[in-house]
Amino acid sequence: MDLLEYIELVINDYTLRTITLGTAILGAVTGMLGSFAVLRKQSLLGDAISHAALPGIAIAFLLTGAKESNTLLLGALVSGLIGTFWIRGIITKTHLKSDTALGLILSLFFGFGMLLLTFIQKQPNANQAGLDKYLFGQAATLVESDVWLMAIVTGLCLFVLLLFWKEFKILLFDKDYAKTLGFNTKTIDILITSFIVLAIVLGLQTVGVVLMSAMLLAPAAAARQWTNNLSVMVFLAAFFGAFSGVFGTAISATQNNLSTGPVIVIVASVFVMFSFIFSPNRGLLFRQIRFIKNRRDLELHKTLSFMFNIAKTHENISHPHTIKILNNFQGYTKGTLKKLVDKNYVTLNGNMWSLTQEGFETASNLYNQQFKKDE
Amino acid sequence: MSSAQLEIQLIASLVAIACAIPGTFLVLRKMAMISDAISHSILPGIVIGFFITQDLNSPLLIVLAALTGVITVVLVEQIQKTGLVKEDTAIGLVFPALFSIGVIMIAKNANDVHLDVDAVLLGELAFAPFDRLLISGIDVGPKSLWIIGTILLITVGLLFAFFKELKLSTFDAGLAASLGFSPVAIHYGLMTVSSITTVGAFDAVGAILVVALMIAPAASAYLLTTDLKKMLFLSILFGVFSAISGYWVAHWLDASIAGSITTMLGLLFLVVYLFAPSKGLIAVMYREKQQKIEVSLLTFLLHLKNHNEENERHVNHLREHINWQKIRAKTVVDLALKNNMITIDNQIVSLTEKGDDFTSQAIDYIITNEDAQIEDMKDDFFLFRG
Repeated sequence: MDLLEYIELVINDYTLRTITLGTAILGAVTGMLGSFAVLRKQSLLGDAISHAALPGIAIAFLLTGAKESNTLLLGALVSGLIGTFWIRGIITKTHLKSDTALGLILSLFFGFGMLLLTFIQKQPNANQAGLDKYLFGQAATLVESDVWLMAIVTGLCLFVLLLFWKEFKILLFDKDYAKTLGFNTKTIDILITSFIVLAIVLGLQTVGVVLMSAMLLAPAAAARQWTNNLSVMVFLAAFFGAFSGVFGTAISATQNNLSTGPVIVIVASVFVMFSFIFSPNRGLLFRQIRFIKNRRDLELHKTLSFMFNIAKTHENISHPHTIKILNNFQGYTKGTLKKLVDKNYVTLNGNMWSLTQEGFETASNLYNQQFKKDE
Repeated sequence: MSSAQLEIQLIASLVAIACAIPGTFLVLRKMAMISDAISHSILPGIVIGFFITQDLNSPLLIVLAALTGVITVVLVEQIQKTGLVKEDTAIGLVFPALFSIGVIMIAKNANDVHLDVDAVLLGELAFAPFDRLLISGIDVGPKSLWIIGTILLITVGLLFAFFKELKLSTFDAGLAASLGFSPVAIHYGLMTVSSITTVGAFDAVGAILVVALMIAPAASAYLLTTDLKKMLFLSILFGVFSAISGYWVAHWLDASIAGSITTMLGLLFLVVYLFAPSKGLIAVMYREKQQKIEVSLLTFLLHLKNHNEENERHVNHLREHINWQKIRAKTVVDLALKNNMITIDNQIVSLTEKGDDFTSQAIDYIITNEDAQIEDMKDDFFLFRG
């Protein structure tokens, strides 16, 4: 199937259109809020919350007996929030560290959720099948109303984000300063945490409990590599998230037996890997290139300063010397010599070299900072 | 109680002990989330092992899965080393990716074999006694009992052999390194043991719930003691208690055994979290409240010491001046009266000799921060107990 055909199919086919839109919106909103989670060093909070939401789903079902997704998500939201605030309680009130608190809440809530789910499954109620779709997510079960809900929540998120942009930003980078300026840091903190919980709960149906944390982290971690600016990062993360959603859906729709959630996560992970390697400022590739270049420059400087020290002893700085005397000096290679010639620091004549006036001046200023010419 | 029930409880208890030992060290080393990552990312290892052997209990499967666990740890460390993201982000990136690969491999290839994600993640202890190990035709007990028993034996052996190295490198990695114990070797040793335990326990309690058995008993024990040996002992005790009581709760509710063991662990932690002496929530909040009152008392006494004028020491003025609510002011004045630190004479408050002494001592302590001067005050005041 080629691309055009696929796009046509997305527009015409109800299920595919719903899923594509749903995953795209979900990716955008999780990417947006994930940026804050990553920068606040709460990356694993997403993992904990998504697991902690499970008992809420089960209890909501037990109470109402209906499988209506909004009710279940409300239950998930409540139990996710309880989990989050318990984590904060553990961290602030006891000497247990954040990793222990996260792991504890994650596993205990999830285990309790499993207990409830298996308990429900034994109940004589034919309606219970399909609750476990929240475990691994089934994008195929998305319907248009789910997408509308996602869109509304995303709009709300965007609105609050724009409204409290400067508060969020200052809380993110300098909490103490925000406090001294008189911002109510606690309220802002709770606000943003609640929105993160909300976004996670929204994604449960699509990608499931286990993979939700990657949806939150991966786009943000990828976006972080390309910029140092918060607004650009949030925008990029939303874009990456949406694109992984669309692309992941496309891959899983065109193949047999591929559930959408894992594919989206893999696509997002590929984004992260690509960003780690190829981002121009922080990326590993360019960092390595810069590293090698710096080393070369240093070698070049070493050669030049060696030449300078020889030339200094002569009255005429352009006095020719044989290349041979460079041989027992480590920084010298044919390549560096050639480079020096290119830069017009050295002239070659047969197997003799001599410093030019320009080379002499550069070399004499090499190790004191006054000479600011870009090397 | 039938023999199958006994066997289930035995397996559950052994899993609990095998998890509690590495779990204690993970919690102390602030690496609890690594166990969560491992428990997810062993999935591709299990799947590959299963494709090769077609048997969920084969030793090769355990080796491969444990290897994936160690690979996870290495990957996390490598990503973290690049400095591009923080450690927790690295963990959060690695395990969902590996887990997704596992899920996709199952979906693509294992349609007609007995392996689904639920089985790996959630496990079913109730079926464990039916998978027997036969040695030359003789039934020697359930397979998973042997697997987890072997793992436990190795873990305990390693624990006794390397207890002092583990202890030292956990609490003072720098000292351990300078004494010549390789922190790297101990770190990877611990990671390997955790991986193997996770894998060995997955078909009994499920990979995710292994995390609960590792972290929850250790965290509860950590709130009760600061002695490593006691902590190990308590976490084992908590683990076994939850395993057995969890089994009976599941029996009664007719629900997942792993789920109810975790729920018992959760209840246990909740009780310890609330009521632990000196580190529980209630104790901490009580202490904070006392400290708050005592700080107020000190402020009040300092104010009295600074002012000799009668109008500054009038009861009503005090409330205005220090800006306290009525009730809080009354509490503080009552406390001071009870301790004979002030006398109230015709609505004018003045310090007694004892109060004067106390205030000077407290000021000295605050200024010099030397503990010796306040030894005798520690018994009466939370504030000076640190």
